[in-house]
Amino acid sequence: MSKPTVTSDSAQSDPSTVRDFLSVPPWVTVHVPLFVLVTLSLSPIVLAVLMSTQSTVEIYQVFNLAPGSEGLSNYDTVLTEYDFLTYIPNTFVMASIIVTGEVTFSLLAALALVYYDFPYKNVVFVAILLTLMLPFPVRIVPLYNLVTDLGWGNSVLGLSGPYVASATSVFLLRQHFRAIPDSILETAKLDGVGPLKFLVYVLIPMSKGILAGVVVINFISAWNKYLWPLIIVSDRQKQVVQVGIAYIQGTADAGLTQWGIIMAGSVLALIPPLVILVAFHRPIIRTLGIQAN
Amino acid sequence: MTRIELDGLVKEFDSLTAIDGVSLTIEDGEFLVLVGPSGCGKSTLMRTIAGLETPTEGDVVLDGTAVTDWEPKDRNVAMVFQNYALYPHMTARRNMTFGMNSVGSFTDEEIDRRVEETADILDIADLLDRKPAELSGGEKQRVAMGRALLRDPDVFLLDEPLSNLDAKLRDQMRAELQQLHKEIGTTTVYVTHDQTEAMTLGQRVAVMNDGEIQQVDSPQTLYDFPNTQFAAEFVGSPAMNVVPVLVEHAGDRWFATHEQFRVPLPSGEGLAERQFAMGVRPEDLHVVGESQHESAHIDGTVKVTEPQGDALLVHCRVGNDTLRVLTDSRASYEIGDSIGVNVDDRRVHLFDPDDGRTVYHSEGQQARTEAILE
Amino acid sequence: MSTIQRKEIFESKWQAALLVLPTLTVLAVFLYYPFVQTIDLALQETQLLGNAEYVGLSNFEQLLTSDRYRNSLWVTTWFAVLTVSGSLLVSTYLAFLIHETVRGSSWYLIAAIWPYALPMAVAGSILNFIFHPELGIFTNVLEVLFGVSLNWHVDGTQAFLLVSAATIWKGIGYNVIFLVAALGLVPESLDEAAKLDGIGRTQRLVRIYLPLISPTLVFLLIINSIRSFFGGFSLVDIMTGGGPNEATNLLIFNLYQDSFTYNQFGLGSAQSIVLFLVVSVLMYVQLKKVEKFAYYG
Repeated sequence: MSKPTVTSDSAQSDPSTVRDFLSVPPWVTVHVPLFVLVTLSLSPIVLAVLMSTQSTVEIYQVFNLAPGSEGLSNYDTVLTEYDFLTYIPNTFVMASIIVTGEVTFSLLAALALVYYDFPYKNVVFVAILLTLMLPFPVRIVPLYNLVTDLGWGNSVLGLSGPYVASATSVFLLRQHFRAIPDSILETAKLDGVGPLKFLVYVLIPMSKGILAGVVVINFISAWNKYLWPLIIVSDRQKQVVQVGIAYIQGTADAGLTQWGIIMAGSVLALIPPLVILVAFHRPIIRTLGIQAN
Repeated sequence: MTRIELDGLVKEFDSLTAIDGVSLTIEDGEFLVLVGPSGCGKSTLMRTIAGLETPTEGDVVLDGTAVTDWEPKDRNVAMVFQNYALYPHMTARRNMTFGMNSVGSFTDEEIDRRVEETADILDIADLLDRKPAELSGGEKQRVAMGRALLRDPDVFLLDEPLSNLDAKLRDQMRAELQQLHKEIGTTTVYVTHDQTEAMTLGQRVAVMNDGEIQQVDSPQTLYDFPNTQFAAEFVGSPAMNVVPVLVEHAGDRWFATHEQFRVPLPSGEGLAERQFAMGVRPEDLHVVGESQHESAHIDGTVKVTEPQGDALLVHCRVGNDTLRVLTDSRASYEIGDSIGVNVDDRRVHLFDPDDGRTVYHSEGQQARTEAILE
Repeated sequence: MSTIQRKEIFESKWQAALLVLPTLTVLAVFLYYPFVQTIDLALQETQLLGNAEYVGLSNFEQLLTSDRYRNSLWVTTWFAVLTVSGSLLVSTYLAFLIHETVRGSSWYLIAAIWPYALPMAVAGSILNFIFHPELGIFTNVLEVLFGVSLNWHVDGTQAFLLVSAATIWKGIGYNVIFLVAALGLVPESLDEAAKLDGIGRTQRLVRIYLPLISPTLVFLLIINSIRSFFGGFSLVDIMTGGGPNEATNLLIFNLYQDSFTYNQFGLGSAQSIVLFLVVSVLMYVQLKKVEKFAYYG
């Protein structure tokens, strides 16, 4: 092989070396800070996972970062002795009811708001949107009174009931429905396709992406709820997993704090939303994107 | 088999009048093309026939029954849209059959049998299990046609169905559409903005502008005897030349006089000493030396030349006006050349400059001219 | 065609009413009705046994004269300023870096936005541990590297900064999602033109990207502000309990304690009204922003 060929080959494979030979190579200014920031953001979780396998003695050796001797036994303790085996299903049930109710009701409302002509339609839409001004903290006390008066305290009904409708979901679905081409609607109208058939066979299949986004965003937010369950549920057997973490801390604080167990509980409470985020990050990004405009 | 009568249709959207008093009869089995520039109301008119729009005034009558207030699904019309309107998540077969059960007049076996038949006619049998994303534009077009055909409708409504196809495919589909119409014979209304398409497809062509029908005639009649200046200029490519003239009576002869030339008219009873717009198609102008029939002489200067392949279009400056002249494609002219142009005086039209109506066709339309002048 | 096509293909009014009924009912019962009740309660003084009497604006007077509440307002304002600016700065930088990478950008993206899924109770308990004054790994690393000794169980400022840092951490997930999308919409030709002119990375961020994504930044500014006034409860509850010396006593935590620890429902509702005023002002700004940026489509 002759020398000139080699030179031109290397120039082709890495043209940036020619352009940037005076300055620092680009990966230094991009990948290094990116890597540092991302590592910093991930490190607490990695540490939590490691520590969740350690015994209390190992945890007191601060710089012992090796996977510990307890293996999964801290997880076993959390699940059985600290009732996470109850909290986790409770949370799933609550989140499922919220997501199902919210998506169903929002689909129906968006169907009416886009494809029906009825009086005071704009008033109805504005009334729905205005609830964005009423986040939970501005109605916390009466909501607590109301739900207890309904006899829903300490129940999954009380946990999920107030959240089964959402202005944001109605808004997102409405935006999406409005973007479906008119000719598709008119084809359906020419055939006399009824509203429910239209919803089930046309709208829902054509909205898979945004529905996935809405489901996942609402699941994450339901799973992560803390203040409302803390207030409305006092019976520990009915509690959700986030408050469960506070419970272990409270119990464990009594003696020598069992950090390994607290970390195991935290990891368990984090896994479902995290897995869902990683799996569905594309629909989440797309769905949130509609909101910004 | 259905005869469509439109009786005094008016459609207003808030302040905009989309259809301004249209009365038109489309005969049973006819292929009628509605043509006009965008915004002229042609699509609204078609959608009113379908029942997708309710007219502000007037009636839609199908086979003697007023259906103005009927739901679209009860009219038994089928529509094909420019963007095909196929459901993206359904296979071609499902696209065709979805909604047919809603009408309720077909059994499942009947639908299956009709799908096979329709697919054979349109040559899409192999595509039935594909989704729209896996089909080419022409294939989507066929599936959309199939969906309409499957319903055995009384009326076919086609809204710019070929506009999204490339030129070659468009020509092919045009021929197929004509063939298909010949076979099934269903009354068809076809909307397009493309006058070439209108001329080649329609048994009759209705030219629309500003919500009104300007003229309904066979393509050739429309071309030779346009009723209005708008129809004259809209139909035909390259478009008709229109220049201002004054009609003069000299001795026993009549002339249309332009500032630079005059054209003899066979007759001009009642037109003398009035201003008109004179229309002449580019192919009825000849560069001197090319035609046998030479009667008028116009001196012009070549401004631009546009080769068209089979002919050469010369833009020629005459006074303050420009005349487009079609000539031999092999002829060569330089910009600035002086040329002489003759007018075929049998093929001259005069339009009233105020309302745009045609007052005169030089060829054999004396009776018509006089009728208009009454 | 210029015809005005309508999407309303169904006409039945009672069907429409039936379809919006579930959503409207839930919103009326669980949002509007309690909010009206909040206003009503805010004007009452409630006692433990459920007796209540109307006292006019005295709850508000009590709040404004209370050192504890004024401190809470002050703490929350600082918390908002620090977490909103911190989170937006870090997120913008991070999103820009991701935008600049070609290789591996989708991995970086997931690694950057994952805190969106992070439950704050989990964040709180993990930080409790890794920043523990004696046992915490981060505490010890900071001491070894920078000689800083953390003692946020006693030191109010440290506790406040730690809670703020956790909130910034969590906020990155949400913000980066929007910012990466906004950066992706900036026409590539603008960026290429700048590169051809030899304009450096920082200059491109400041001169080209920031002005063009400013509508998104304003949107995030509002959303983050609202969150900073309404969120943060679980962190404070799990990490500091509002202390030390009320240094982390956010408005929402104070509201919770007055209402549900001390059962002063009237006073708690008055605090809800204060929060409502905050969200009203921020929403109003948001609407103004929509008008201002309407041209960007």
